[in-house]
Amino acid sequence: MSIILILGAGIAGHTAAAHLRRKLSKKHEVLVVSPNRNYQWVPSNIWVGIGRMKSEEVYFPLAPLYKRKGIGYKQGKVVSFHPEGDNTSSKAFVKIEYVFGEDAGIQENISYDFLINATGPKLAFELTEGLNPGTNKAYSVCTYEHANHASIALHQLITEIKNSEKKAKILIGTGHAKATCQGAAFEYILNVEKELVRLGVRNKVELTWISNEFELGDFGMDGMLLTYGKTTIKSSEMVEMVFADRGIKWIIGAGVSKIENGIAYYENLAGEYKSETFDFAMLIPSFSGHGFKAFDKNEIDITDKLFKGFMIVDADYSTKPYEEWTVQDWPETYQNPSYSNIFAPGIAFAPPHAISKPRKSKNGTDIFPSPPRTGMPSGITARLVAENIIDSIKKGNISIEHKGSMGNMGAACIASAGYGMTKGSGISITTFPIVPDYKKYPESQGRDLNKTFGDIGLAGHWLKLTLHYAFIYKAKMKPFWWLIPE
Amino acid sequence: MIPIITKAAHSKMQNPFIQLIKYVYLSLKILKIVLGGHGGTRK
Repeated sequence: MSIILILGAGIAGHTAAAHLRRKLSKKHEVLVVSPNRNYQWVPSNIWVGIGRMKSEEVYFPLAPLYKRKGIGYKQGKVVSFHPEGDNTSSKAFVKIEYVFGEDAGIQENISYDFLINATGPKLAFELTEGLNPGTNKAYSVCTYEHANHASIALHQLITEIKNSEKKAKILIGTGHAKATCQGAAFEYILNVEKELVRLGVRNKVELTWISNEFELGDFGMDGMLLTYGKTTIKSSEMVEMVFADRGIKWIIGAGVSKIENGIAYYENLAGEYKSETFDFAMLIPSFSGHGFKAFDKNEIDITDKLFKGFMIVDADYSTKPYEEWTVQDWPETYQNPSYSNIFAPGIAFAPPHAISKPRKSKNGTDIFPSPPRTGMPSGITARLVAENIIDSIKKGNISIEHKGSMGNMGAACIASAGYGMTKGSGISITTFPIVPDYKKYPESQGRDLNKTFGDIGLAGHWLKLTLHYAFIYKAKMKPFWWLIPE
Repeated sequence: MIPIITKAAHSKMQNPFIQLIKYVYLSLKILKIVLGGHGGTRK
């Protein structure tokens, strides 16, 4: 009998748990530890953030589902990792602390045979002074609770300007010089714009995009060339076209460093220190690791064997210039090199480097996007980790035949550009591979143009809505859920 | 120079009949990419 311990119940952790439970006999234990009591379909939070979807539609409680499916569940947070056990036992364990109910505050050591660290990112709001969702007129849509607050504040502002002569400024984008997730902010600004039009106040609002991207449409993926209709255009041109069409201004190459009540302070690549005022802002924070500690059997700190901010996996972490980066630097199995029974799919693994070209301001400040890892690669990497663990259990030794590098994996990014069955819009972008392979595709900026395309229109909204229902169905493990691909 | 979305393009983007065809086309195209699989990059 094996115990598979999964830390985190987001897209990666939940996907791994579902596949492991489905394919392993009941004599093996699948146990999920997460501080969250609900599963949330994060991509739909942008609709919660404009008030067009209730938060209850994007989450459901984990405990009843896991009980029904025979998956163990403890609502707790990780305290420390002990991959060699301790002086009383050589069995690897993770120390957790319960965060809810009667057991809140109690710590427990949980042994494992295989460990999946799917703890995702820490939303590091504290890395930007004054950026704290719900304060200083700045909000977030990173969780459904944040999105709810954002929606309330946005509609309060809309009501205020509708009933007065007041004009307002809305600022949306990234709230840190090295933030990622530009895609979510991009979706949100387009949805906000559509809501302002729908509610008849668009002419009273100055809408501005602020981002650490060197060019619009970089999305933390170094931008892309894509097929658009019968032509090939740059993603920067596509986004410029959409922003110009919607009357959205933009500030790029901006590292936001401080938020005060209605003011964002930033430095740009030219080294200028500037500020932008706003009545409402939605700014994506920096993502960081959780600061976990790890100890060996003698209680000696071995954190650097497991973590480099996020968890160390089979990537090439050697320092090299952008020109020498290759897709081979990116991990294939998400296995920790020091402990072969530990894996980190999804956002929990430490990337070898950024994907976008690193840039510094004239003052030496790094201003460029960190690499994004959206739902699709999170699900794919979690599934392949689960499959390798299943093989390892069945064979009786570690097997890592299933591989999936982001340099050999596609992603579909269906960006909502406005909600509504007849008036909605979406920007459908697919890219292959996620990490550009400049050697394999030297003529098309590292991407396969047959698989990298963009499209704008109502169909994109329908697609995004279809994905919402399909992935919630899948996450609830309803009949034949496993037929829906990651 | 920034490309523009023409009025005709706008009409196509919101035309439910054209978009229904696009919906099917895009779904299949995305499915093809998803089912196209993934793999390693090292030998």
